[in-house]
Amino acid sequence: MEAIVRLIAATAPVQTPDEIKAANAAIGAGFAYGLAAIGPGIGIGFVVGKAIEAMARQPEAAGMVRTTMFLGIAFTEALALIGFVVFILLGL
Amino acid sequence: MFTVTVTSTTTGASRAWVVQTAPIEGEAETVAEDKGPSPIAPEVKELAWGAGAFIVLFLLMRVVLFPRLKKGMDARYGKIRGDHEGADATRAAARAEVAEYEAEIAAVKAQAAQRIEAARNVLEDERTAALAELKARVGTQRAAATAANEAARAAAEQHVSTAVADVSSRAAELATGKRPKAADVTNIVASLMGGSQ
Amino acid sequence: MLALKFPPINELIRWRDIFSNFNKVGVIAVAAALIGIMVFLVAGSRDPLVAPTGVRNLAETGVNFIENDIVMQTMGKDGLRWTPFLLSLFVFIYLCNLPGILPVLQMPATARMAIPLFLALTVWVVYNAVGLRHNGIKYLTLMAWPPGVPVGMRPLVGLIELLSNIVLRPFSLAVRLFANMLAGHMLLITFAFLTNALFFAETKQFALKPMSILPFFMLVFLTAFEVLVGFLQAYIFTILTAVFINAAQHPEH
Repeated sequence: MEAIVRLIAATAPVQTPDEIKAANAAIGAGFAYGLAAIGPGIGIGFVVGKAIEAMARQPEAAGMVRTTMFLGIAFTEALALIGFVVFILLGL
Repeated sequence: MFTVTVTSTTTGASRAWVVQTAPIEGEAETVAEDKGPSPIAPEVKELAWGAGAFIVLFLLMRVVLFPRLKKGMDARYGKIRGDHEGADATRAAARAEVAEYEAEIAAVKAQAAQRIEAARNVLEDERTAALAELKARVGTQRAAATAANEAARAAAEQHVSTAVADVSSRAAELATGKRPKAADVTNIVASLMGGSQ
Repeated sequence: MLALKFPPINELIRWRDIFSNFNKVGVIAVAAALIGIMVFLVAGSRDPLVAPTGVRNLAETGVNFIENDIVMQTMGKDGLRWTPFLLSLFVFIYLCNLPGILPVLQMPATARMAIPLFLALTVWVVYNAVGLRHNGIKYLTLMAWPPGVPVGMRPLVGLIELLSNIVLRPFSLAVRLFANMLAGHMLLITFAFLTNALFFAETKQFALKPMSILPFFMLVFLTAFEVLVGFLQAYIFTILTAVFINAAQHPEH
């Protein structure tokens, strides 16, 4: 990450310590959100895939499965959203 | 090479993004001055307005709005259920009427069948009686005819046997010179004729 | 080098006060409450015995949605007395989310932390109060140690459960709603901004002007997506509230 910062700093016309710090923070924010999105992405994929499988096997239970699926998505998604909040906080 | 830099005109709620070839120093400074609220930290005024609005909505919903709506819905569902029950009752009544009508028809049919049966019985009786009478008459006539027949045959047999006895006693007399007893001849003739029969 | 300077997030959510301490978020919150009240007021004043149409149909659909898809799915029949609370939560959140896609307004009130935080704290107070009223002081131990936890595991499980119940639940409830709506808002801004920048570019207009159709299509698509997200977040907030209240009433599950 330091290398990227240096690369960006090398192309930028001005390099005050504040700007380097801001660049660091921006890159950190990007990584924070990108990494935070991986796990929940896989998790939501599993949740929805299994829910669709369950609905296809037992269409009469579709309502219950859908409710539970949304609950599962909500809990899984929370991690990605915390990453998003960290992204905003770091970007400030 | 060109640079498109977008800065915002910071004059209030109408937000127009203006594309400029280069940033203007003064505007950049005003942007820096009025950075706007923190995107994360809640603001007290928004908290207060949101809380007030929600509490008012919830209290009204709890006390007035929802019970009234729910009462109306329950009334309509009750009415629909009542209408369903009324329809069921009407259907049951109609079914009962149909059943009654069918029972009446069945009674009439049974009566008619009974009458037909009675008439048939009467006819049957009459037929049986006539048949019996006819049979009796035929029987008596047949008996009379048979009796007459028997009598005629007996007479004819008697006649024949007398004639045979006569002839045979005559023949015996001619052959032996002595007349056999009439009773013996008769017996012999009778046994012979009985055997030949 | 083609470069676009994206405005900081602070600027995107800054609204001038209309009068002292009353800004656009306040307008949307008050409008949401008023619209909700008006809809149910008008709906309640219609003749209930004829087949519902228009506003009454809308309100009854909402009530049936809460009762059949949220309460019955999570709390069962004895949870039906929570319908007014869940209904007002759902209506309020949905009507606060909706301005995110309405032209002119273009700002979901829930994309600011204040309203989600208040609602999450309300839900937190409600479900803990329900738990205490339903189970007495035993609620605290039941919350920390669900039945069937081996004694050796108790410190760890107790810590996790207490943390989950007291801190994480309201936090994730608030952050979920807030971050979803803010992310959607920023997504829309990004594409609107890109469209604008390309269409009003001062140099190389012959190439950049036609290209502006691409982010515009994306903008339209994402607006349709935000309609779905706004509804879904209101639904998820409400159903999680129902789940938490039910869990507080019956901690053994």
